[in-house]
Parts: sequence; structure tokens; C-alpha cells
Amino acid sequence: MLKLWKKFPGQLKRLILIFLLFVAALMTARHFLIPHDYGQYGNYRGGSVHEIANLEVKYAGQIVCVDCHDDIAEIKFAGYHKNVACEVCHGPGAAHVEDSDIELTSPRGRDLCILCHEYLPSRPTGFPQIVSESHNRVKPCISCHDPHDPVPPEAPKECSACHGTIARTKSHSYHADVECVYCHQASPEHKVNPRENLPSKPKTRDFCGKCHAEDADVEFGIPRVDMDAHEKRYVCWQCHYPHLPEAGQ
Amino acid sequence: MEPTTHHLYSLFHEISGYIYPNEIELHWKLLIVIYPYLTGLVAGAFILASLVKVFNVQQLKPTYRMSLLTALAFLIAAPLPLLAHLGHPEKSYEIFLTPNTTSAMAMFGFVYAWYLGAVLLLEIWLDYRRDLVLWARKEKGVKKWLHKALSLFSVDIYDKAVRFDKKFVKIITIIGIPSAFLLHGYVGFLFGSIKANPWWSSVLMPIVFLFSAIVSGIALMLIIYMIVTMMKERTVDRACLEKLASFMFYAMIVDFSLEILDFMHRIYESEESIKILAELVSGKLFVSLIVIQLLIGMIIPLMAIAGAKLFKIPFELKKIVYFVSALLVQFGIFSTRWNVVIGGQLFSKSFRGLTAYKMEFLGLEGLMVSLAIMILPLFILWFLFKVLPPWDDARNP
Ligand code: HEC
Ligand code: HEC
Ligand code: HEC
Ligand code: HEC
Ligand code: HEC
Ligand code: HEC
Ligand code: HEC
Ligand code: HEC
Repeated sequence: MLKLWKKFPGQLKRLILIFLLFVAALMTARHFLIPHDYGQYGNYRGGSVHEIANLEVKYAGQIVCVDCHDDIAEIKFAGYHKNVACEVCHGPGAAHVEDSDIELTSPRGRDLCILCHEYLPSRPTGFPQIVSESHNRVKPCISCHDPHDPVPPEAPKECSACHGTIARTKSHSYHADVECVYCHQASPEHKVNPRENLPSKPKTRDFCGKCHAEDADVEFGIPRVDMDAHEKRYVCWQCHYPHLPEAGQ
Repeated sequence: MEPTTHHLYSLFHEISGYIYPNEIELHWKLLIVIYPYLTGLVAGAFILASLVKVFNVQQLKPTYRMSLLTALAFLIAAPLPLLAHLGHPEKSYEIFLTPNTTSAMAMFGFVYAWYLGAVLLLEIWLDYRRDLVLWARKEKGVKKWLHKALSLFSVDIYDKAVRFDKKFVKIITIIGIPSAFLLHGYVGFLFGSIKANPWWSSVLMPIVFLFSAIVSGIALMLIIYMIVTMMKERTVDRACLEKLASFMFYAMIVDFSLEILDFMHRIYESEESIKILAELVSGKLFVSLIVIQLLIGMIIPLMAIAGAKLFKIPFELKKIVYFVSALLVQFGIFSTRWNVVIGGQLFSKSFRGLTAYKMEFLGLEGLMVSLAIMILPLFILWFLFKVLPPWDDARNP
């Protein structure tokens, strides 16, 4: 070994020494700088698991609230806010569960509600959203909506309450006098739980033909088309928007 | 309005179509454009140097040491944009202590350390060792001790020892070429392996990165070589300059073909992303991709060099043509990096909308810091030239 070392040229010896020094420095650094429990479970300190487990618990979960507030819970779980946990609005409640003298806060202003309900293009269509600037700007939300059962003050009678754009469009179209329900069989549940009870939509050309076919048994003024000759291969609403039909002069 | 809100709000007017909320602001900004640009220059300069040692292109000898020092100067600056972008530079050593082998990004430290320690420093040291010893003998004061220390106090400069250096350098250069490929191929791999992003996800990415790196490295050396000889009031070596221009030309041809190949591949495949990518290229990236990268950075220099080579024009004029072409190539390659990094984040993953990038001026990720990081390597290089003069007449006979 020593013989071989002697045979190395001077510069190689220096390089080897530097390399060894470097390796030694790395080993020492690893020894001192890596926490001893690093890698116990994964790429992190094993001790951090216990540290995190020992953090003070602040949230209690909404199941415990039912024990004492069964009246409110019952209302809430039946309403629109069934999936919004109590502590989202009232804040962490672990301490309150232990000792009910420790009071929780109730968000009586407008700020919290807007967090979820302000209009945002990225929210799914159908999620109840408002533009708070124009949605009664002065009163707090809870003066009209019960936070635990936030039904709109009255269930909308008209389809236009929710499908405003379509209703407005239709109201000045040739189909103004055709009722929504003529074309869409909407069950009353649709107004309460729209997504789970979607109304029907016309499916065939013949549906429009009920009024527009040449032999249709309806009032005289309705324009007629020859159902066999008029663009037979397509459904009608590929060309005519049913809520604003145009014949494209 | 809060500053962040204000910043986001100003972006709203630039957005078109549908875009997810977390895509409005780009996460990788100017600094991440600079990072592949700098590493590309390193790899390119090194590959130019290896043309001399491995492929024995004698004409390029005047640029050999210069290229090595340039590679070193830019390599020193290369991780700075990353450190500035990530924040907490004081924790950066941790990626060496507890390596995460399953993360390509976390392996950067090792790719970098290998290239710096095992390739570049070693090659420079071995190549300069004999000169360092001889310089130290002649000099006095600080310089003497600096050179002595740099030579690691070695003394052997008899024939056998120097022959050993030469052999060793050759071996290192041979290891160095795949290492340089690794260094920049790795940067391309980082982007190419992101399968969620159709603009990046391509196996060609590392290869395209590599060849654009070679192009930019050679162009940089051409610029530095001409400026340095001019400043030292020496004559430009004609054969050397012609060879530099030729190699730059060849590398550009390969780079160009690869990019066209990638382009055709995308168009022919016509995946569902093609519509939004076409919109991107013909809209927000039109100037930086079609005009700067393709026209100004590729086609014009290609034609200029070809013209200068084909027609008999005076050497003085040729010099200008080459110099300007090399400058244009730098702009082109910089916007190549820009188009990859920024372009890849301008479209929504919904493929239905585009956002915009507003560059900050001050701040850690702003223009000023980026400019500083881009200029820094030139100062490092100036310093290296002082300590390790690469000129032929500084060599000891
Ligand atoms: C051990 C029984 C108990 C449990 C469990 C409990 N509370 Fe209470 N809570 C009380 C009592 C008692 C009061 C005081 C009633 C009063 O002052 O009328 C109260 C009051 C409140 C108030 C009104 C405070 C105010 O000042 O307006 C809120 C809000 C509240 N609880 C929320 C919660 C929530 C949320 C949970 C579940 C995390 C919860 N409570 C769990 C017993 C309980
Ligand atoms: C959407 C937010 C929200 C959620 C979810 C919510 N609350 Fe409330 N809660 C309020 C607001 C706002 C008030 C204040 C009402 C008021 O002052 O009229 C309130 C008042 C209360 C009160 C005070 C008693 C009263 O009627 O004045 C109790 C108790 C309470 N909530 C318990 C609960 C419990 C238990 C749950 C979960 C089952 C829950 N809350 C879920 C917003 C919420
Ligand atoms: C954590 C988010 C969240 C907060 C905070 C919240 N809500 Fe809701 N809200 C919801 C969800 C979820 C629904 C149910 C939507 C659905 O059924 O599709 C809902 C439904 C509603 C509805 C029923 C709208 C309809 O479909 O007719 C009203 C009204 C409402 N919330 C009012 C409020 C008010 C008032 C507050 C403030 C006290 C509030 N919300 C706070 C999430 C929230
Ligand atoms: C003056 C009473 C009043 C106040 C105050 C009020 N609302 Fe309403 N809100 C209504 C009425 C009436 C409707 C139903 C008619 C409609 O859809 O416009 C409604 C509807 C809603 C809807 C359902 C919208 C939809 O498209 O399904 C939401 C969500 C809502 N309100 C949230 C809020 C929030 C949040 C606040 C506080 C920032 C608030 N409201 C304040 C009266 C009020
Ligand atoms: C409480 C609000 C509300 C009322 C009132 C309402 N709808 Fe809807 N409607 C919805 C929502 C929410 C959807 C789902 C929209 C979506 O998925 O984007 C929907 C969907 C529909 C659809 C589309 C179904 C599909 O398959 O795409 C039709 C048709 C429709 N409604 C017709 C009606 C008619 C007709 C009425 C009046 C009788 C009416 N709706 C009243 C909320 C309402
Ligand atoms: C003349 C028949 C007709 C009438 C009247 C009509 N619709 Fe429709 N509606 C259709 C047809 C057909 C479609 C399917 C269009 C499609 O699939 O592209 C449709 C689709 C819809 C949809 C889902 C697609 C969309 O455009 O958003 C909604 C919601 C809807 N209608 C609501 C209404 C409401 C509310 C009214 C009354 C104000 C109404 N419609 C009146 C024929 C009609
Ligand atoms: C209940 C009968 C009825 C049904 C069903 C009906 N329409 Fe109509 N449609 C009318 C009436 C009424 C007019 C207006 C006649 C007038 O005043 O000129 C009309 C007019 C039209 C026009 C002519 C517009 C113009 O510019 O002249 C078109 C196109 C049209 N409907 C398309 C459709 C389509 C498509 C459907 C199927 C989704 C449909 N209609 C279903 C009653 C109906
Ligand atoms: C491929 C497109 C297309 C389809 C599908 C289509 N139409 Fe038309 N429709 C037109 C055009 C274009 C016109 C106007 C030119 C014309 O009068 O022929 C028109 C005109 C009409 C008119 C007005 C005729 C008049 O005399 O004023 C009615 C009513 C009509 N269509 C009903 C229907 C009905 C009902 C269906 C389905 C059975 C249907 N269309 C399908 C394109 C289409």
C-alpha cells in the first residue's frame, strides 16, 4: 500500500488528500448536522411526529356539538349548510366542549358568509353565489337568512329565480308564450334540490314538430317546415337556440 | 387594495378564456429563465474546450483555456437564480446532507457538485499546474503565494509529471463530455419530465436543450474571444475564428432541425392541447418565439454565416458578421429559455385560456436581481483572467 502511494506523482497525492479531506468533512457534517432521529419513518425527523401529536387540540369536530346543541344540530343537518361544519363559523371549539363557560364567537357580520358565497367565476355553476355589493349591502346576512338553515326567504315560484338569463332571453323571443314546462318537465323537487332532480329536455326533432311540422295541429300563425326536407340529419337546436329561435334571414 | 391583490387584479385584464385561479400568476419567473440559460452557456463552453483536447481541433487552441474559465465563471453563477428563487439560501446545504434520490430537482446539487468538482476544477487545475508552479517561482508578494496555494504547493514539473497531467486531462475531458451533457440534459429533463404540461413534456427536451446549449456556448466564446483580443490589442487568429463560426453553424443546423422535428411531431400528433398551444404561439409568444427565437436568433445568423463563408468578403467584414451573428444567437437562445419556461405557464391546464406574465422590477424575483446575476459571471471571469491568464504568451515555454 505504502509502496503504491510512493509511486504516485506528487500532484495525484495532493488530489487524493483533498478528496479524502472533503469526504471526511462531509461525514463530519452529516454526523453533526443531521438530527439523530432523521429517517426513522421517512425523509423527516422521527421526533416531529411526536411533537405534532403533542400540539394542543383546538378543534372538536361537529359530532360532539350534537350532545348539547341537538336542537340547532337537527336544523342544520337538514338544511343547505349540512356540509358546513359548526366550527367553520364558530371557530375552534375544543376548549368550549371541555368548559362551556368559555364562549365561542358567532359571525354576525357579512364577512364570513361572503368568503364562500361571493360570486367567483371558478365556483361551480349552481353553487349559490351573490354579488354582495348589490345584495342588500347594509343589513347583515343573518337578518334575512338563518345561518343554520339558510333557505332563501321563500322558495322561488318561477323558473326565472334561478335561470334568470334564460328566462330573460326567452321573454323577448318568438317563444315568449311557450311555457318552460311545456318543453321541460320539472318536478317541484327541482326547485328545492336542483341538481339531484334535473328536469327533462326535448330529445327529438318530432318534439318541435308538434308545433312546426306542416301537419301540426296548432294555431295558424306558427311558421311551418317540411320535417322531411328541413335539415333531416340534425336536431333542431343545433341551429335554432330554443330559447331565442331565429330563422336567420 | 393589498399589493398582492393589486398585482393579481392588474393581471385580470390580460387573461383570456377560462383559467384556474392558481394559474393566474406564474410560479417560475425570470430567474428560472436565467438558470437554464446560464447552465447552457457552461455546458456549451465546456464542449468547445473538449473539441481541442479530445477531438484535437488545433485551430481552436487559443480558446481552450478561455472556454474552461468561462465555463467555471458561469457555473459559479448558475445556482444563484435558484437560490434567489427558492429563498432560504442558508438551508441549501441540506440537499447534500440528506439526499432525496427520488426527486429530480433535489439531485441538482449532486449533478452540480460532480461537474464542478470532478470535471471543471480538476481539468483547469491540471492544465494550469505547471504554469502555476513556474509563475510562482518568478513572482513576488501576494501573487506568488496565491499561485503557490492554487497549485496546492506542488513542485514537480519534470517531464514525467507533466506528461501525467496531460494524460489525466484527457481522461477528465472524456468523462467531462458526458458530464456536460448530463448537466444540461438534466435541466432539459426537469422540464421534459413534467407530464402534466404538454408544452414541456417531451423526450426531445433534454436533447434540444443540449444542442441549444452548445450553440450558445460557442457563440459566447466567439464573443468573448473577439472582445478580449480587441482589448488586448492583438490580432484575431483567422483560422480560429473561422473554426468557431463553422462549429457554431453546424450546431445551429442540428439545433434547428431538432426544433423543427419537435414542432412537426407536435402538429402531427395533434393532441388535445394543440389548439391552445397554437393560440399561444400565434399570440402571446409570437414575438419571442417566431420573431426573436426563430427569425432573429436562428435564421438570420444562419444565413449571415453561410453568406460570409460562401462569398469572398474581406476578413474585417467577416469578423463583424460573425460577431453580430453570435450576439443575435445569444438573444435567440435566451428567448428559447424564455419561451420554454414562461411559455409553459401561460396556458391553463384546462386548455381553455391564457394568462400573462408581468415582470417585476425590484424584489428578489425582479428584473434588477436577474440582471445582476447575469452580469456577475463576467466579473468572475475578469477576475479569473487576472489570476489565471489564459493568453498564449502567459504560458511558460
Ligand atoms: C357539554 C355541552 C356542550 C357541548 C359539547 C358544546 N356546547 Fe356550545 N354551549 C354549551 C352551553 C351550556 C352554552 C351556553 C348556553 C347559553 O348561554 O345559553 C353553549 C353556548 C354555545 C354558543 C353560543 C355562544 C354565544 O355566546 O352566543 C355557541 C356558538 C356554541 N355553544 C357552539 C358550540 C359548538 C360549535 C360546539 C361543538 C364544537 C359546542 N358548542 C359544543 C354547551 C355545550
Ligand atoms: C354558516 C355558519 C354557521 C354554522 C355552520 C353554524 N353556525 Fe351556529 N351560529 C351562526 C351565527 C351567524 C350565529 C348567530 C345567530 C344570531 O345571532 O342570530 C349562530 C348562533 C349559534 C348559537 C347561539 C344560540 C342562538 O341561537 O343564539 C349556537 C348555540 C350555535 N350557533 C351552535 C351551532 C352548532 C352546534 C352548529 C353545528 C351543528 C352551528 N352553530 C353551525 C353561524 C353558524
Ligand atoms: C364554508 C363555506 C360557507 C360559509 C362560510 C357559508 N356558507 Fe352558505 N352555503 C354553503 C354551502 C356549501 C351551501 C349549499 C350549496 C348547495 O346546496 O349546493 C350553502 C348554502 C347557502 C344558502 C342557500 C342558497 C340556496 O341554494 O338557496 C344560503 C342562503 C346561504 N348558504 C347563506 C349563508 C350565510 C347567510 C352565511 C353566513 C352566515 C353562509 N351561507 C356561510 C357554504 C357556506
Ligand atoms: C334583506 C334581506 C337579505 C339580506 C340582508 C341578504 N339576503 Fe341573501 N337573499 C335574500 C333573498 C330575498 C334571496 C332570494 C332571491 C334571490 O335569489 O335573489 C336571497 C338569496 C341568497 C342566496 C342564494 C342565491 C342563489 O343564486 O341561489 C345566497 C347565497 C344569499 N342570499 C346569501 C346572502 C349573503 C351571504 C348575505 C350577506 C352578505 C345575504 N344573502 C344578505 C335576501 C337577503
Ligand atoms: C332553486 C333554483 C332553481 C329553480 C327555481 C329552477 N331551477 Fe332548473 N336548475 C337549477 C340548477 C342549479 C340546475 C343545474 C345547472 C347546472 O348543472 O349547471 C338546473 C338545471 C335545469 C335544467 C337543465 C337540465 C340538464 O340536464 O342540463 C333545466 C332544463 C332546468 N333546470 C329547467 C328548469 C325549469 C323549467 C324550472 C321552472 C319550473 C327550473 N328549472 C327552476 C336550479 C333551479
Ligand atoms: C321550445 C321549447 C323550450 C322552451 C319553451 C324552453 N326550453 Fe329550455 N331547452 C330547450 C331545449 C331543446 C334544450 C336543449 C338544448 C341543448 O341541448 O343544446 C333546452 C335546454 C335548457 C337548459 C340547459 C341548457 C342551457 O341552455 O343552459 C336549461 C337550464 C333550460 N333549457 C331552461 C329553460 C327555462 C328556465 C325555460 C323557461 C324560461 C326554458 N328552458 C324554456 C327547449 C326549451
Ligand atoms: C308549443 C308550440 C311550439 C313548440 C313546441 C316549438 N315552437 Fe317554435 N315557435 C312557436 C311559435 C308560437 C312561434 C312564433 C310564431 C310567430 O309569432 O311568428 C315559433 C317560432 C319558431 C321559429 C321561427 C323564428 C322566426 O324567425 O321566424 C323557429 C326557428 C322555431 N320556432 C324553432 C323551434 C324549435 C327548434 C323547437 C323545438 C325545440 C320549437 N320551435 C318548438 C311555437 C312552438
Ligand atoms: C342545419 C340547420 C337547421 C336545422 C337542423 C333546422 N333548421 Fe330550421 N332553419 C334553418 C335555416 C338556415 C332557416 C332559414 C332559412 C329557411 O327558411 O330555410 C330555418 C328556418 C326555420 C323555420 C322558419 C321557416 C319560415 O318559414 O319562416 C322554422 C319554423 C324552422 N326552421 C324550424 C325547424 C325545426 C322544427 C327544426 C327541427 C325539426 C329545424 N328547423 C331544424 C336551419 C336549420
